[in-house]
Amino acid sequence: MSSYRIMVIDDEKIVGDMARMALEQDGYEVETFLNAEPALARLHEEKFDVVVTDYKMKGIDGMEVLKTVRRLYPETKVIMITAFANLDAAIEALRADVHDFFPKPVKIKELKASIQRALGK
Amino acid sequence: MKVENNIILSNVFHIVLILLIGFFALQNLNLMLTKLRFVEIADDLNASFLELRISEKNYFLYRSSETLQEMRDQIDNSITLIDSAQNDIVRAIGQTNLDELRKYLRRYSAVFEEVRRSTMRDPRLESMLRTQGKRLREFSAATTKLERRRVNEIIENSKKVLFYSFWAVLLTAVMVSHFVSQKILRSLRLIEKLAKSISQGTYQKIEGTLPADEFGSVINAVNSMSEELKDREEELIQSKKLASLGILTAGVAHELTNPLNNISMIVQNYMEFYDYLNKANSLDLMQKIQGETERIEDIVKNLLDFSKPKEAVLGERDINETVRKALRLMQNTLDISNIDVKLFLQDGLPPVLIDEHQIQQVLVNLILNAVQAMEPGGRLTLASRRGKSGDNVKVDVSDTGKGIPPEFIPHLFDPFFSTKGVGGTGLGLSVSYGIIRNHKGNIKVDSKVGAGTTFTIELPVPEKGKEEIADEQLQDHGNR
Repeated sequence: MSSYRIMVIDDEKIVGDMARMALEQDGYEVETFLNAEPALARLHEEKFDVVVTDYKMKGIDGMEVLKTVRRLYPETKVIMITAFANLDAAIEALRADVHDFFPKPVKIKELKASIQRALGK
Repeated sequence: MKVENNIILSNVFHIVLILLIGFFALQNLNLMLTKLRFVEIADDLNASFLELRISEKNYFLYRSSETLQEMRDQIDNSITLIDSAQNDIVRAIGQTNLDELRKYLRRYSAVFEEVRRSTMRDPRLESMLRTQGKRLREFSAATTKLERRRVNEIIENSKKVLFYSFWAVLLTAVMVSHFVSQKILRSLRLIEKLAKSISQGTYQKIEGTLPADEFGSVINAVNSMSEELKDREEELIQSKKLASLGILTAGVAHELTNPLNNISMIVQNYMEFYDYLNKANSLDLMQKIQGETERIEDIVKNLLDFSKPKEAVLGERDINETVRKALRLMQNTLDISNIDVKLFLQDGLPPVLIDEHQIQQVLVNLILNAVQAMEPGGRLTLASRRGKSGDNVKVDVSDTGKGIPPEFIPHLFDPFFSTKGVGGTGLGLSVSYGIIRNHKGNIKVDSKVGAGTTFTIELPVPEKGKEEIADEQLQDHGNR
């Protein structure tokens, strides 16, 4: 069976690098993007099992990524991380059926656990 | 003296004055009445005496005993009349004159009795009777005339007194009310001045001795109110400053979150993969951590630079670079507030001679104002351009906020004037104004309620810069 595919979108390069480092260890296939446009283009080509995206980004933001993914692949889970830990954003994301919502700094173990839940493991 | 007391006193004064005049008029009326009653009696007496003298003449002509009896009756009538009206007569002409009258009447009566008793004509007695009769009549007539004249005098006097007292009352009324109203107006003017100073935020106090009346108490109360307001305003400014600082630091705190998260994720992975990492990998991770700590250091330094007051250090700067720096400082605040930013920075602007830190502070102030004027989703536009005459450079900071009512525009750069309620210090714009004026520049505002506000900073281009522009323009012409 092929491994699960995970997409990470964050305009902080280190976030993608570190997520890749941690998730590849568990056997996931990881692709990272610094902004949403190429990520969405990639999503149109291929389905991912989990999308981890930053909430606030220049250009297309996390909310739009979430909505696009929901439209394209209803079974794909979206996990949102944000440096702006504000309640309104969290409520908006929950309404749009986000799988999980993490404020920065992110605990990698929690992120991994959340991804496992998303995959029904 | 209290105003209330003043008014009471002047009223009492006028009442007493009017009472005195009334009392005097009553006295005069009473006197006049007495005199008039006497004149009535005297008229009767005079008539009686006249009849007596007619009878006397008749007697001397016809010698009738009936006439004698008539005369006796007339004398007795007169005596009865005088006796019955004795009191009135005494009041009018006094006891002495009454006694005199009685004396004349007695003498006449006595001579009359002698005439009646004498059996033959006695020319001496007749002449005496005539003389006495004449005297009696003359005295009575003279007294009556005198009393009539007195009545006239009293009426004249009363008229005069009433006339003068009317003017006296009028004059004192005018004087007293003028005095009282002057006193009130003087105090009111003091209070007006005080209230004006409070509304202008200068919080003056009225010094010196205060009037010892109700207005003194009012001024005293307003004075202490002014003092209280001044204290409160100082507290308010302090808390507003903290609120403003809060908005700025919220942005900075969020800016710190990203490098903090990066370090945290690197450290978590470093610990997780500790056994598998070779030297190069470890070094790479540590260098990344170092990079992120430098990023934090920059943010903190920037904030410290901004908050620390410094002496103006002028240098030739590219204004566009300053605008970008200010925007970077505010980027997170703008992100949190979900404000869209548009930059229109003209290329090839001549350098301006500025203290970059101060101009950056002005721009941050203007951006902060713009953010606070807008709802989330608003648009902030920063534009730089060359002034029409070429001797200055302009920077516009525009928002799509609620705009400033025209009546506030003239006060916008006054210290402590704020349209933000609790949100603003009212210091930002006045400080900005001071900084721009120190740069020999200008700051202008153009606002439309409901549409937005544009603040424009104009900074002069130093002489050298102007020459460059002139050269460029020459070249432009040459190229065409």
